[in-house]
Amino acid sequence: MASRRALRTLKHLATRRAHSTSSVSANELSHFSALASSWWDPQGPSRVLHLMNPLRHDFIASCLSDAAPPPPPPSASSPAPSPATNPNTLRYLDIGCGGGIFAESLARSISTSPASQTATPTRAASITAIDPSTTLIQIARDHARLDPTVDAHLRSGRFEYKNCTLEDLIASQQTPPSTSTPTPEKYDIVTLFEVIEHIESTPSAGISPQSFLTDCLRLVRPGGWLIGSTIARTFPSWLVNQVIAEAPWPIGVVPRGTHEWQKFVNPGELEGWVQEGLMRAADGRAVRAGAAALEGMRWKCVGVVYFPGFGWKLVPGSESWGNYFWAVRKGV
Amino acid sequence: MRALVRTATRPYVCPSCQLGRLSARRRFASASTPSSASPEIYDVVCVGGGPAGLGLLAALRATPATSKLKVALVETQDLQKARSWSLDAQHYSNRVSSLTPSSVSFLQKIGVWDHVDTARVQPYQEMQVWDGETGSRITFDWSMETSPFEDLRTVATMTENSNLVRALLSRIAESGDEDLSIFSNTTVSSIANGSDIPDGPDLSAWPVLSLAPTTSSSAQPPKQIAARLLVGADGINSPVRRFADISTSGWDYDRHGVVATLSLSDLDPVHSTPNIKTAFQRFLPALGGPIALLPLPNNTASLVWSTTVAHAAYLKSLPPRAFIATVNAAFRLSMTDLTYMLRMERPSASSPTSTDSSSSSSSAVDPHEDELTWRLQHTPQPRKPSQLPPLVTGVQEGSVASFPLRFRHASTYISPRVALVGDAAHVIHPLAGQGLNLGLGDVAALAQTVEYAATHGMDVGDLLTLERYAGERFATNAKIGGACDVLHKLYNVPGNGPVAWARSFGLDVIDAVPFVKGLLMRGAQ
Repeated sequence: MASRRALRTLKHLATRRAHSTSSVSANELSHFSALASSWWDPQGPSRVLHLMNPLRHDFIASCLSDAAPPPPPPSASSPAPSPATNPNTLRYLDIGCGGGIFAESLARSISTSPASQTATPTRAASITAIDPSTTLIQIARDHARLDPTVDAHLRSGRFEYKNCTLEDLIASQQTPPSTSTPTPEKYDIVTLFEVIEHIESTPSAGISPQSFLTDCLRLVRPGGWLIGSTIARTFPSWLVNQVIAEAPWPIGVVPRGTHEWQKFVNPGELEGWVQEGLMRAADGRAVRAGAAALEGMRWKCVGVVYFPGFGWKLVPGSESWGNYFWAVRKGV
Repeated sequence: MRALVRTATRPYVCPSCQLGRLSARRRFASASTPSSASPEIYDVVCVGGGPAGLGLLAALRATPATSKLKVALVETQDLQKARSWSLDAQHYSNRVSSLTPSSVSFLQKIGVWDHVDTARVQPYQEMQVWDGETGSRITFDWSMETSPFEDLRTVATMTENSNLVRALLSRIAESGDEDLSIFSNTTVSSIANGSDIPDGPDLSAWPVLSLAPTTSSSAQPPKQIAARLLVGADGINSPVRRFADISTSGWDYDRHGVVATLSLSDLDPVHSTPNIKTAFQRFLPALGGPIALLPLPNNTASLVWSTTVAHAAYLKSLPPRAFIATVNAAFRLSMTDLTYMLRMERPSASSPTSTDSSSSSSSAVDPHEDELTWRLQHTPQPRKPSQLPPLVTGVQEGSVASFPLRFRHASTYISPRVALVGDAAHVIHPLAGQGLNLGLGDVAALAQTVEYAATHGMDVGDLLTLERYAGERFATNAKIGGACDVLHKLYNVPGNGPVAWARSFGLDVIDAVPFVKGLLMRGAQ
């Protein structure tokens, strides 16, 4: 179900990133490259993923209704419209956007009339989507042109695809040519759908899901959300995701080799990583932030189950069966 | 050799490539009008301004999440005439529909019902259906689920289509004209895929319509509009369906539906219940279909008589008094007597003129009337007089008309950026009065699908979005259309053979077992 990220080309890795400290996993490469051409085929191998996408919007809406990020600080550089007139002010970052299934749907939810007074379900003002794969970013850009609304957002800059890794993004923001912003640019909502289980763990290079999540959390504004989805590493999920979902046609719905069960993450582990990540992200150069960084944080988790013939349904309590959505809100 | 290779490899061409081939073929044109200008872009373009198309527009405008979508409607006819339609309280249009409670509640939900002239609609609480061959009878009402202290629930509501269309137009007008374009008096001269606009979006998979005004001012160039979702509400010969290359299957019943607006004799105060209105339907196996009398206000009723083409022509040619006598006979006489009456020589003197001329010559004996009076004396009548409709006493001038009965079902309701609703997707036998209700059901489902898409970042024209609509409606419509077809065939077997026995036994069982009847009636809603 989670074939969206991590499509990497060999050339890309060999020329630019073979030795860099990147969270990108080279092993997933050949598998996802083969899927690239059918990424947007509604009947293709990514069909189950397409069907899950509307639920991501539902989950985001539930996070926003629990606690909306505070209005943006008045800043001269930000072109965001004033919140007094426009409730749709949230800046999104989609990490590992793949072929753009989620990013494009979110871009479509950006209101075309900036003067709009009515809040959209996502309250989005802009979205930046990044993926390390050149092939996938190209697929995403090509597909975006097929929709005039999305195309217009791409041209106006409210929607942006960047072909880079998370580490690149942070690095580019931490070394600005001028002295205008010493801290990384922050986002109200950072999304991480079906990514964490594809992250390469290389302890020797200091790369782990933990460090990846810490980087993600660095990009979240206080009061903003980091929202993602992944799969639990339990017996039912092994049965469903490895044995049944990747079974040969017509039983299976996911291409063989999409998932590695060992990389799946349980909700408890994830919550632990996120708490650790929040503290590390708050660490200064000289001081350790400690538990104070966890003040005001919120943790949210809900299972999601695929019923063949009926589609995906949010099923609270089913987190350990397999797929689940999770979200963490940074304290204000 | 090359052809052979192509044939051999055909099964291995992947579905998406086949889809690509298909979309390249998509084109509908009655006049070729190539244009390079970039088209105006709409979210939803609905072709066809009948109850289904207008219903979709009204539903989209009434729902907050979809009210900001940019929508357009294209209609060949003059909608201004439909807006200003009006008739006096004694006259009713012969194009009427029986709305199920779920259709009415959908119209209430989208605020259309407030615009319907309710003095002109007639709910009915009971339906008498019987077999003209065997006399086997079933009564549909909600009495088995109603306590003696409450009123009987409505089985269905009769309304003139013009009344409904006027209400829909007035509801749409009420929603304002922002993001809304109604192209009245306009035909779709062609539909083709758009093009990849340099420095702009790639519309090569988007339907682009060329619009031409019917009022022959051919000086101005045709307007081009592109549709994120193109809805075909354009009837049985849907151009949108042809553009999408969707095939239909079906057959003609070789039957016509004869319609008329009738006035009835005053109800018998002893045997009728004041607050109960009844619809009557009698199957006439020897004559090719059922006759139905559906109540309208002011003691009038609408006739729908499905019969063979020859009988329909005969009925239409009868002068008013003979027509009335034949309708009364059709609810009362045996198959043999009726068949005889439909073969009687037409009264030669009269060209079928007006009711006035017939009343002025009322002293003269009409042969059909005469025949009916004589034959009724020898026909046993049902024990309860309420099982028969009141006598028809008049026919509204110019209201006798007929239309062919057909069955059609599209192979699919959706294609990339295309959805079919109403008659463009399915045409069924009118014996259960479900045609318009199925269309409104389509519209409700499609509007809901569009709403879901709009609130979840989905492209409303995307196949993944439209799947929800097709999944909800295809099986339902096929089931109801198929049931009507089976009933038609079952009640076209004349005589008292095993089929007649079996269908009567079935009807008796259903009538006797409240559980089964309740199930059926809920299904028909």
